[in-house]
Amino acid sequence: MKKFNLSLVTGALLASSAAFAQVTAITNATVHTMTDKGVLKDATVLIEDGKIIAINPSSVSADVTIDAQDKILTPGFIGSMNQVGLVEVGAVSRSNDGYDKKASAMFDASTAFNPRSSLIPYARKGGLTQNVVVPRGGESIFSGLSFVTDLTGDFESVTATETALIVRLGAKSSGSRAVSLKQLVDKLEGQQKKLAKKDKKEDKKDEPSKEEQVLTKVLKGELPVITKVSRASDILELLKVKKQFGLNLVLWNAEDAPLVKTQISESNTPVILSAVSNLPSDFDSLHASLETAGELEKAGVKVLLAVGSDSSHNVYQLRFDAGIAVANGMSHDGALKAVTSNIADVFGLNAGKVAKGQRADLVLWSADPFEFSTSIESMWINGEKVNTNDSRHDKLRDRYNTPSDMPRAYTK
Amino acid sequence: MQKFAMSTVVLALAAALSGCQDKGPQKEFVSIEKNPYPSTYKPVSNKSVLITDATVLTGTGERLESADVYIVDGKIQQVGKDLAVQADTTVDAAGKWVTPGIIDVHSHLGAYPSPSVESHQDGNEMISPNTAEVWVEHSVWPQDPGFNRAREGGITTLQILPGSANLFGGRAVTLKNVPAHTMQAMKFPEAPYGLKMACGENPKRVYGRKGVAPYTRMGNMAGYRQAWIEATEYKAAWEQYEAAYKAGLNPTAPERDIKYDTLRGVLDGEILIHNHCYKAEEMAMMIDLSKEFGYHAGTFHHGIEAYKVADLLAENGNCAALWPDWWGFKMEAYDMVQENVAIVDAVKNSCAVVHSDSDTTIQRLNQEAAKIMYTANQNGFNLTEEHAIKWITYNAAKSLGVADKTGSLEAGKQADVVIWDKNPFSVYSKAQEVYVDGAKVYDRNDEKYQAVSDFMLGQR
Repeated sequence: MKKFNLSLVTGALLASSAAFAQVTAITNATVHTMTDKGVLKDATVLIEDGKIIAINPSSVSADVTIDAQDKILTPGFIGSMNQVGLVEVGAVSRSNDGYDKKASAMFDASTAFNPRSSLIPYARKGGLTQNVVVPRGGESIFSGLSFVTDLTGDFESVTATETALIVRLGAKSSGSRAVSLKQLVDKLEGQQKKLAKKDKKEDKKDEPSKEEQVLTKVLKGELPVITKVSRASDILELLKVKKQFGLNLVLWNAEDAPLVKTQISESNTPVILSAVSNLPSDFDSLHASLETAGELEKAGVKVLLAVGSDSSHNVYQLRFDAGIAVANGMSHDGALKAVTSNIADVFGLNAGKVAKGQRADLVLWSADPFEFSTSIESMWINGEKVNTNDSRHDKLRDRYNTPSDMPRAYTK
Repeated sequence: MQKFAMSTVVLALAAALSGCQDKGPQKEFVSIEKNPYPSTYKPVSNKSVLITDATVLTGTGERLESADVYIVDGKIQQVGKDLAVQADTTVDAAGKWVTPGIIDVHSHLGAYPSPSVESHQDGNEMISPNTAEVWVEHSVWPQDPGFNRAREGGITTLQILPGSANLFGGRAVTLKNVPAHTMQAMKFPEAPYGLKMACGENPKRVYGRKGVAPYTRMGNMAGYRQAWIEATEYKAAWEQYEAAYKAGLNPTAPERDIKYDTLRGVLDGEILIHNHCYKAEEMAMMIDLSKEFGYHAGTFHHGIEAYKVADLLAENGNCAALWPDWWGFKMEAYDMVQENVAIVDAVKNSCAVVHSDSDTTIQRLNQEAAKIMYTANQNGFNLTEEHAIKWITYNAAKSLGVADKTGSLEAGKQADVVIWDKNPFSVYSKAQEVYVDGAKVYDRNDEKYQAVSDFMLGQR
């Protein structure tokens, strides 16, 4: 994974802001740290220069103090497995950059990311501060590489690239799934052999190709391999591949996972799923259930929640999906982790936790973050306060909901 | 093509007028059977049920605390506090909430079922811009596991619609969400038929791509108008035949055309329009279109921009069936606002409905309504649960033309009832028990009342 120099980004942000190194104190907060410190009551969180510099310091000296009045402070939620910033309108082909017919393991769409997309201010309404963008890929089983952005909507908001390799396996509308799996195994074996030869060779001047670099990282377990797969038998085949090559494997969708939860748990394989997927959309997902997230959690599997259908335009729904997972057996704390720290862990992000030294991506909620009745009181991304009520949806609502004698076009 | 179709109708009409109207012995009167696939639905039980001590949202805008709901012979007998009645079954619903059965006016369950494999793509006859002749009930697979999932979310009535590729997609059907192995056994008795129409991008994309009309939005409008002209002629031909026959003449019946039977049904006020239509300017034109040909424009589905014409919809008595937040999948869905339903609803005489068009969100229309209510309240509205529940009960029933039968907990109405474990506007709420016509069709805590489709049985 390539991480971007934070201070450069921060510098750009703060260039427009008056006070450099301004200290913000959030006091009297109920802080869900998502660390082993658990939940801290009446806590104070100090932010400076984009980072959390202290939690419950002995003395507080801040330029800005926000009294949280016992309300809940969490890390910003993290969206994933969508094309936010790569798509504006689904059916407008010229606004789509997440798909390319020739996409391969090297496909990195991060340079196509549009931070000015209208999807971004809307995504913030769900308490999301960062997002993992996954290309839709093309004809290959390899869809490409994921990248991560913050949701400020500012230029330079890509925070990391090459965070995972995306692979799609399982049912195919033409041809056999066996061939797809073999393509994956062949690629890995091929690269393994190249590396073995190279170790013997003295001459290491040959610069490896981009694909070779990606596959080498995969073989070293440095680059997670997110594999979209559903059927239980396919999951077991993949677990064999994981073992054979020492992959950092992550299962995505995995509707049939409850059937093989022990094997998934024993192999320490995280699962990314949609909490509301409960229909047998094909013969690969006959066991889709609302209870899957909770069942996997109880089996000791690291669960990550991602919004399923229309995952780009409505990634804001993530918090509601988490609530539905809780209603169907997941623990509240487990669901919070599934939308914060577990995502950060899998993708190697400095996010998803409230801890000293962490990036200050925080949300102060009016109440339980998963409830419909709860609203966002304040949001900080990289230590800067951001607006959650300034999408073009808000502007349209206000235009048509404000009495005026003039045509609506004059209400701005 | 359209032109030729028209002249066929004109010929038929001419034949009816000038044809054998001699005064000889009358041939058998030719009548059109309007209900050839009748409902065989029968309520499962006729035992009386008393649900006690619940927070009751009646569907008429009222909220009663610690109230009872008394069901006799499948009908709501009484709703109120401390009812002094005896019932075959009493359900203690203390701490729980009770609402009318939830109604989804826009579903494709059965026609686009799970699993969504090649053999199951039965929801849209995409061969011509006008397929008013197809009836989606003929595509419904009652074993779609989605029906069971929807029931577990409190859905007791749903309208199945054909898809939106065509200007006229065909007849829609309203079903009672009861487990059955024939479509007729789910069919809502005496519910009017619907006719699916579609505005905008879909028809012009599907047919324009094939190089046939409509290629543009103006092509869409021309297509509707041409069809209504033909339907008007068809209706006149039959009415003249009927009148002549009644006058003792011996006319020849016009040639039967099931496409025009359906369009005539709309002109006669027997079939209700359900119009997939996203944009403000298109809804305004569809209302004018209905006035041009003398029918009612019905319910606008997916009206992403309904909030821009909320006054117009209310003035003309049009329901708007809307999502809380779907957007951006095509240009006509770009101007979404999360308060769309609330803005439409705020106008006097409005009819705001929350619909799903999804096998997933149909399972939680209560929560779809909750999203709207709370977002709107954060932006200046003052909506309550007892009001918002109407979007998925009473108003939905009105849209389907069954508000005299279901959609609220009022004496005499069909006892379609949901018991929720908590406030149904909470993300954590789940339907506990679901009743259709007074019969328990789902119980979260009793496997006996958890239906499994044939398709899922024995899968491992």
